[in-house]
Amino acid sequence: MTALARTESGLGVWFRRRRGLLGVIAALVLFPFVISFVVDGAGIAAVLNNDQGNARFLQGLAIEVFILALYAISYDLILGVTGLLSFGHAMFFAVGAYSFGIALKEFELAWPLALLVVLVAALLQAGLFALVLPRVKGITFALVTLGFASVFWIVIQSSDLADYAGAEIGLQGVRPPVWFLDTTNERFAFYLVTIAILFGVYVAYTRIIDSPVGKVLHATRENEDRALMLGYNTFWFKFLALGIASITAALAGSLYAMHQPIVTPSVAGLGFTVTALLIILIGGVGTISGAIIGAAVFRLLQYYLEKWFGGTSDLLIGIAYIAIVLYLPFGIVGTWRARSLRIKAGRDRLLGVFGGGQETPPPAEE
Amino acid sequence: MTAQTTEKSLNKRVAEVIEENRARVTVLAVLLFLFLAAFAGLEREDWFAVIMQGLSIGAITFLVASGLSLIFGLMDVLNLAHGEIFMLGAYVGWTVYTRFDTALDIVIPLLFLAAPFVVMPVWRKVSGRLPTDPTPRRVASWALLAVGAVVTWMTVTRFPLAIWDSGDFTQSPGNFSTQVGLGILAPLTPDTFQGAAVVAVVGLLIGGSLLAIGISAFQTHVGEIRPVTRRQVGTAATLIVAAIVLSVFKDSLNQWAFDLSTTWRFFLAMAISVGVGVALGAFIEVLLIRPLYDRPIYQLMLTLGVGFILIEVVRDVWGRPEFSMARPALFNGTGEGCPGQGLGGFFSGCSTVQVFGARLRVYNEGFVILVGLIVLVGVTMLLKRTRIGMIIRAGVQDPDMVEVLGINVRRVFTLVFALGCGLAALGGVLAAPSIGLSTGMGALFLLGALIAMAIGGLTSFPGAAAGAVLVGLLQTLIIRFGQVGINIPFLAEPFEPSPTLVPAASIILMVIVLLVLPSGLFGRGER
Repeated sequence: MTALARTESGLGVWFRRRRGLLGVIAALVLFPFVISFVVDGAGIAAVLNNDQGNARFLQGLAIEVFILALYAISYDLILGVTGLLSFGHAMFFAVGAYSFGIALKEFELAWPLALLVVLVAALLQAGLFALVLPRVKGITFALVTLGFASVFWIVIQSSDLADYAGAEIGLQGVRPPVWFLDTTNERFAFYLVTIAILFGVYVAYTRIIDSPVGKVLHATRENEDRALMLGYNTFWFKFLALGIASITAALAGSLYAMHQPIVTPSVAGLGFTVTALLIILIGGVGTISGAIIGAAVFRLLQYYLEKWFGGTSDLLIGIAYIAIVLYLPFGIVGTWRARSLRIKAGRDRLLGVFGGGQETPPPAEE
Repeated sequence: MTAQTTEKSLNKRVAEVIEENRARVTVLAVLLFLFLAAFAGLEREDWFAVIMQGLSIGAITFLVASGLSLIFGLMDVLNLAHGEIFMLGAYVGWTVYTRFDTALDIVIPLLFLAAPFVVMPVWRKVSGRLPTDPTPRRVASWALLAVGAVVTWMTVTRFPLAIWDSGDFTQSPGNFSTQVGLGILAPLTPDTFQGAAVVAVVGLLIGGSLLAIGISAFQTHVGEIRPVTRRQVGTAATLIVAAIVLSVFKDSLNQWAFDLSTTWRFFLAMAISVGVGVALGAFIEVLLIRPLYDRPIYQLMLTLGVGFILIEVVRDVWGRPEFSMARPALFNGTGEGCPGQGLGGFFSGCSTVQVFGARLRVYNEGFVILVGLIVLVGVTMLLKRTRIGMIIRAGVQDPDMVEVLGINVRRVFTLVFALGCGLAALGGVLAAPSIGLSTGMGALFLLGALIAMAIGGLTSFPGAAAGAVLVGLLQTLIIRFGQVGINIPFLAEPFEPSPTLVPAASIILMVIVLLVLPSGLFGRGER
């Protein structure tokens, strides 16, 4: 009885602490209905019936944002938290997309089996990256991982594998294995699935980062020699981070293979790794929530600039990146956190003047 | 007796060197063995041709990689825009070479626009009168920039521009290129100013001044303002006078350039390309890289952003992305007495030459390699024999220490960045006649150059050269194998890699070398 009460209160605390997150999820779930109601002038049934319209289109855009966010979160874990500069992250994503697609299309596996294939492939490539970890560091590690990813990129678009991977055109004709992964006919269901996966991963990541393991990962980033001297075998922690990131990115890739009609080889190229880097720079390096916000800013900026300016949009995007790098040095979330301390301090001082406020100690940076 | 002892000590010393660098020696021996094994399967004239083609690609890769490794060594910036500067060099060179009149038309307004920026202290004094509070000041500077941009845009469009129409066949860049190859290119009918020329010129000067004031107003800390020097005024005046002279004598200059043989025009194109690369490098370093020296990942992002912008600029300005470029006349001769025979054949003015039974192209396998060698020797001399080279080498080891010794390292940084970009631009214009121009050429050679740099040990200049040669040799060798097929043991049929698999070979080589020798072939152990 008491144990039950304690768990209840524990859950209550858990929910109360994450009420912002739950509010965001609720808003995202309601978002298609609102769009359908306000913009399309249609009812709730339009969303559930998968009718054409702004609501359906915006759901598609949102799904792309969620997939990118999932991918960027995994990059943030290894770059922002663990401090490994990898230029081969696109390979993590592309391996997921290709292995899931090929397992479904060529080998006609059931979807849980196909997911198992993705999991194994993800672990294998994390092992490959970890294999070189003890030998190379810093920019050399970046170049070696770039090498791995480039080889993968070249191999999947070579004509020798055209039967499986579709050479330069890419992998196409993957049918959704189950109704809730069907983005054309059951978009709202797929939308909910991506939301569930993204926020599940987000909660899991914040939990990992706050755990003792996460502290060791931070320590590895800040000063690896010191972490080693304190008795942590940093290799295994880095391997763990790579493994988790690889599985997450491969999962994002699998969702991508479901959502896009064609998986092009460009998702394995350096450009796609750069996308992840950009997203977490926009959002804030090392802040997991920054990856989600960064993904939204990145994809929406890209979409609307292209819609409004057409061909010159790449130029504007390049200028926007430079402006972000120069003027938002800690990303959106990082800058917000740095500023929110000052805002809170100002509010407290104001309350102090009127005599009602309590001095709250400034929250410590993670 | 004495000879024997020296020989013995020599042997001992060789043994010691081998002992110290066992991993390096092993890697080199394995590579040598692989190359020998590869050549065993080829005819003699084949392998000579393969080596020369490999050296040619290696020379161009070296021009990109050398700048990359100098910049990385001195200031720890991995300049990912280097490939795009290489590409821009090719496009600028193409324009000077095929459409000299257009290049001249672009240079004139640029000179007018640049003149106000030279006398920056004047504008600092002007912007000192602006409000000093941060917010109004920032608003004022942005407003000035916006007005300046509008004025500049309105006046720049009044300048005459001999532009081609890529949709029209008689005016398409490809057609120009063919005409250059045949030696029948004539300037387009000269355009004139829209409206009064004075209005355009004065308007452009005003626009440039407004932009300069706007930029100088970003400096919120108004300290001691140095007075404008006589030299700065002189430079600005020279720029304006040069622009006026150029626009007055434009037609005769164009005629002179089109009457010039394509060889000389090619050298002119090389010089102007290098100049543009140097100017662009200095510009990027001073304005964009300098604020970010303590944030390395952001530098990566920034250079990537610059790369995107350059690709888009090329796509917008040059219209169609893919061009070809005719070889200069000196390397394009045909007819009687061609192909040339032996080593002397390189100077016979033919397009191809027969050496050791192998048929080589004089431009690709002669001139490009020659320029690569000249740059290698020149930069080595610069690094080893001059004072600035000494500072650079010291800076590679420890920039802080050099600064403590009272040397302005920042200026050396700018210089090296500009030099590296100039070399990349030179590489671009050299590569253009042999591989053609496309917006993707930068990324292609950047990958090769990164590999060369990594193999050579990231910061070592001779290492970059050796790595580039290895990369070039390996690429051509694999292409050759793609045609012949590799006899892999236990396989009945020879394995024929498809052409798309070729770049993978050099990347695998890089990964293996880096895993065996994490600091590269020539790098030091600390890094």
